[in-house]
Amino acid sequence: MAGFSREVAKRVFAGELKNSNYSFRDGEDQHQYAPSYLLTPTGAKCNRVFLVGTLTEKDDIGGDTEYWRGRVVDPTGSILIYAGQYQPEAAQILSGMEAPSFVAVVGKPNLYQTEDGNIIISIRAESIQQVDEATRNQWIMDAARRTLERLDGLRNARTETPTGEFATADSVLPLAASTPAQDADRAMQHYHTDVDHYRLMVLRALASLKEDLARNKAPAEASASEPLSTESEAKPVSSEGKAEAPITRKGRPKKSESLAGYSDDEDGDQVESINIAGGKR
Amino acid sequence: MKELVDQIQARLRDQKITVDDEDIESRLRKLISEFRVPEGEARRSVLNYFLKEHGVMPQARASSEKVRVADIKEAGRWVDLEVRVLDLWEPASEAISQTGLVGDSTGSMKFVKWAKSELANLELGKSYLLKRVVTDEFQGRYSVKLNRTSQVEPLDVEVEARPVSKAAEPAKVVEINEAGRWVDLTVKVAQLWETNSESISQSGLVGDETGTIKFVKWVKSELPDLEEGKSYRLKNVVTDEFQGRYSVKLNRTSQIEPLDVDIEIGSVAAEFSGALVDVQKGSGLIKRCPVCKRSLAKGVCSEHGKVDGTYDLRIKAVLDDGRRVQDILINRETTERLVDLDLEKAKQMAMEALDHEVVRSLIESKLMGRYYSITGPRIDRYLLVESISEMQPISVAEVDALLSATEVA
Repeated sequence: MAGFSREVAKRVFAGELKNSNYSFRDGEDQHQYAPSYLLTPTGAKCNRVFLVGTLTEKDDIGGDTEYWRGRVVDPTGSILIYAGQYQPEAAQILSGMEAPSFVAVVGKPNLYQTEDGNIIISIRAESIQQVDEATRNQWIMDAARRTLERLDGLRNARTETPTGEFATADSVLPLAASTPAQDADRAMQHYHTDVDHYRLMVLRALASLKEDLARNKAPAEASASEPLSTESEAKPVSSEGKAEAPITRKGRPKKSESLAGYSDDEDGDQVESINIAGGKR
Repeated sequence: MKELVDQIQARLRDQKITVDDEDIESRLRKLISEFRVPEGEARRSVLNYFLKEHGVMPQARASSEKVRVADIKEAGRWVDLEVRVLDLWEPASEAISQTGLVGDSTGSMKFVKWAKSELANLELGKSYLLKRVVTDEFQGRYSVKLNRTSQVEPLDVEVEARPVSKAAEPAKVVEINEAGRWVDLTVKVAQLWETNSESISQSGLVGDETGTIKFVKWVKSELPDLEEGKSYRLKNVVTDEFQGRYSVKLNRTSQIEPLDVDIEIGSVAAEFSGALVDVQKGSGLIKRCPVCKRSLAKGVCSEHGKVDGTYDLRIKAVLDDGRRVQDILINRETTERLVDLDLEKAKQMAMEALDHEVVRSLIESKLMGRYYSITGPRIDRYLLVESISEMQPISVAEVDALLSATEVA
């Protein structure tokens, strides 16, 4: 009678995931096997996320062993996904995929802090699969609904951080079974979440979905020459700004045959840096 | 939260103390949200804090209020009760001198009299005024504790009390959705499991036409053993819950009546919609034990050892709607339709690849990440899929509906 129950995969838009910089381990003892969670600005406590979007690029950034990185774009932004030797199936599927294509990803959020203090979020993929546009649309609705629900929860959340003695609350707070309301409080205290900002994000995502649907209704115009990804790719750029610039992309999108020994100008330790706006202050 | 604040304010008002709601609330919140203090304890602590701050010793407990059984809705309150003793049970611990059920016209509840209270014993059927007893709560059920500060006064008039509805209500398995309910079930024993505890004499699965549920029969119940495949009326069993799954417990007050009829075990269809987020190991082409149909691990049946298995196709997967997960099982027939692959083709694929994992991979490539609606009976943690269909594509109207609902908000 293992009391193990699988963690729900939370629906969070890339635009929100990117602004997430608060993670913690659950359980009193904080031992190494305690599940770890990411708390997002709208209060989604994620041990696992499910996202569907457009794979816009993929690269093997590994050295001796393959280590695949992909960028998945939704109407609100983009997020990097990784799959290496410990996710062999996901890595194999990602390596064989073509960009752009619609993909569904189930994975664990991962925070990484660079030496200069930037916090980078990525998804360690448990599984990746190509899906169709209908699924991508369903996901946008799904993510919109869940996000709006969380935003509703934030309305009642406490903004004020309890006095000084709780400043280091991060390490003592992990709550084994926090309620959504408690997650909302914590999100509010950590991020001082701008509810309208995220509501607008959801509205924009829905509006763009509506456009996509309308365009598909007139198949004459929506010819194959106009891949959908361009549309969704266009938006996130603004939210990333200059941080995007220094990334050295792989020269040529080599086909899946990148074996060990492939000489690489950017090594495995190459990371993308994103400035987290509105983090803790 | 508001309710707790009001309760504290009421008590403070009694002491002519005025405190801002916000002060109370922030203290409560700190205790409840940050330090995981149960609500009853948090209220007590906050109340005591403000009492102390205003120089009132929390000895205010001397003023317990007289209440009716049905009024007790919180733990840690000091009350006076006029009740009749409806039942006496054998205490489970030496620290308890008496325990049982007391009631008035509004309801009944458990009481516990601590040995340390050194109070005289209560008699079954007699009425008493119980003074300065403290309320307690466990899993949503309230009780009162008689301790050293409590007093017991026999009453001359008999308190009118509803007779204990020892007659637990008859219920169907599917209706069991809360813990602590006393029910009568008419069921067949579907499975008996090995027990892993000395205090359990039997456990397993029982079912009626609406579904199956785990049962536990305590050694202390001293009830006769149930036989697999036989039908019984289980009277006065109590429901329990663990991690969202329900069970029934057979204890000393329960009864078992063997039935001549054969209860058919069925199930009521459940529904679930969500994204398929995992196709689990053990999906695809598998071999089953020819005797018991269990799936084999490396040609070995956990029951019958090494056997010549027969091939089968099935899917074990997880649907997830962002709030809950649901394990699902899809049988061969539905799998063949869903993935457009029959058993013969699957065998051929596996043969060519020298690996039957290819079948699972194929299934994963077709189902992973997509949205499905399913129906079927729920057996333990699985939903056995009877029908499965991809969810309808999103329409402009749907998006519009959500957009306008959001813009208004």
